[in-house]
Amino acid sequence: MSPKAMIGIIIAGVLLLVASQGLYVVNEKERAIKLQFGEVVGDDIQPGLHWKTPFVQNVKKFDARVLTLDTNPSRYLTSGKKYVIVDSFAKWRIKDVKAYYRATSGNRFEASNLLSNLLNKGLRDEFASRTLHEVVSGERDELMTKMTQLLNENTQEELGVEVLDVRVKAIDLPDDLSNSVYNRMSAEREREAREQRSQGKELAEGIQADADRQKTVIEAEAYRDAERIRGEGDAEAARIYASAYSKDPEFYSFTRSLKAYQETFKENDVILLQPDSDFFRYLKDSKGQ
Amino acid sequence: MAWNEPGGKGNPNDPWGNNNRGNNNRGGNQPPDLDEALKQLMDKLNGLFGGGNNRGNNSKSGGGGGLFGVAILVLVLMLGFQSVYTLDETQQGVVMRLGKYLKTENAGLRFKIPLVDQVVRVNTTQVRNAEIKERMLTEDENIVEVELNVQYRVMDPVAFALRVEQPERTLLSAAESALRHEVGSTAMDPILTVGRAVLADQVQVRLQNYLDRYQTGMVISQINIKDARPPAQVKAAFDDVQKAKQDKERLINEAEAYANSIVPEARGRAQRQLEEASAYKSRIVARAEGEAERFESLYGEYRNAPKVTRERLYIEAVTNVYTNASKVLVDVEGGNNMMYLPLDQLMKNMPKPAGVQDIMSSSDISRLTDQVLREVRSRQSTTTSSRREGR
Repeated sequence: MSPKAMIGIIIAGVLLLVASQGLYVVNEKERAIKLQFGEVVGDDIQPGLHWKTPFVQNVKKFDARVLTLDTNPSRYLTSGKKYVIVDSFAKWRIKDVKAYYRATSGNRFEASNLLSNLLNKGLRDEFASRTLHEVVSGERDELMTKMTQLLNENTQEELGVEVLDVRVKAIDLPDDLSNSVYNRMSAEREREAREQRSQGKELAEGIQADADRQKTVIEAEAYRDAERIRGEGDAEAARIYASAYSKDPEFYSFTRSLKAYQETFKENDVILLQPDSDFFRYLKDSKGQ
Repeated sequence: MAWNEPGGKGNPNDPWGNNNRGNNNRGGNQPPDLDEALKQLMDKLNGLFGGGNNRGNNSKSGGGGGLFGVAILVLVLMLGFQSVYTLDETQQGVVMRLGKYLKTENAGLRFKIPLVDQVVRVNTTQVRNAEIKERMLTEDENIVEVELNVQYRVMDPVAFALRVEQPERTLLSAAESALRHEVGSTAMDPILTVGRAVLADQVQVRLQNYLDRYQTGMVISQINIKDARPPAQVKAAFDDVQKAKQDKERLINEAEAYANSIVPEARGRAQRQLEEASAYKSRIVARAEGEAERFESLYGEYRNAPKVTRERLYIEAVTNVYTNASKVLVDVEGGNNMMYLPLDQLMKNMPKPAGVQDIMSSSDISRLTDQVLREVRSRQSTTTSSRREGR
């Protein structure tokens, strides 16, 4: 290898070295600051290719994306003196890179720590002034908006951090409270079940009673109408009989008696007779004396 | 960035260049000394394994210029390959030039400047899936278990790839928060029964809102509430309510069945009673009319000849009566106080109509006989006593 080539290679190497030290790329996901002997000289460097003085300037890159602060679930006391276990998270990102670096030396864990302390304190205050019901249902949005505001007030200037949103992920009851809720729910269901069954019995009883009433009424009315019809028949018959028989009551009783005799004596009845009856008038004497 | 320093690390990459098919394809266009160098190199390589050794051997035996050329060639080839890439139909490519966002490419064969452009592939057509199963408080402070399925797509690959850390995890947290928020502002009953669709809609709106705020570039296509049920601790009680509802229905049905059977039956019986009554009425009136008319007809004749008719009627009737009956003529005047009537013998000799035998047993007959005897004696005693008194 000739000396010229060697020199060329060395020069190229040095150039590359300088370039590799001086040129730097800030990724789209990142923001950076430039430090010169520890002093910030370049603030919020945007994505792209940039130049720094090698060995003199230093570049610190930070995550520019929306980051998540996921706190551990912890106990809070509501104004109703009930404990709840709250799991929350916050979405934040670095807004002022310089302020962020100054406050946290660019250490994300430190930033998270600071944020979560603020969040904890804020949530504790907010929960303490609200009942469980308000926290769980009605005022979540207000609560969260307020928390976001509160955090932003404290963090935007000091930490260079913008909090986009604070959300309560879970609001749970501690075990003993959960159990009492379960017991209450069970009791409510039992009540409902009993109510359903009783209602069923009530309705069934009503339907049956109504049917029985209808039956009784129908039968009674039928009896009434039937008796009326029979009575009408009897009356009619009586009238007919009376109008016919009243023409000669004596003759009627005579014929009726004869008919009765015929009907009364059946075949094979034994009749004891005295020969002095009217029927046997001629039996002993042709003149009937 | 191995290729940034070709002088230092160019040679270790030679073996890879040699194995490359592209190298052979383009071989014809290269100067001959390169071919020679290649051959030489390949011979050396046969006995060698490590990159460091390789380099040492080359510098000893091979021509420096030739080797440099090979390095450049390989470098060019590698860069050539790196400048072309394909994107699948399902993908979009987010292109960054020197770390800065440049453009978003669609499917097809695409070019980039090696080392300068960086491509992040994002699947933007696939419907992704996330599941949440949580136990949570409702508005009326009950606890329910809800299973949620979120289907989403990446709409904005730039935001998805660059703007947010761990987008999938963000989605899960946001979905959980949105779900709990909506469940927390709904009473338990609607969640368990009819309100699921509404709940899903509300969660979707809320979740989309969060995702937009966090710049995730994701779009929720659908939210399904797969299951919403009471927790296991109270399941039995809830099931019992269902059973109770069934019981209620059953009781009502049974009662209705009872009513449906008893009322028509009563109506039927009533109808029968009325029919019978009116039949009775018709019968009795008709009989009355008949008998009255018969009487009147007879009476008309009777008025013409009362004595004869009367006599005739009497005799006919009595004849009728006596014809059928057994007759015992008792002449009391005969004065026999003790009279024996062999009634049972009489009965036996008589022709019996069917059925009589069944009805009259011998004990009946003897009882009847006793009765007749008693009757006769009492009459005899009264007549004798009266006669005696009369004498």
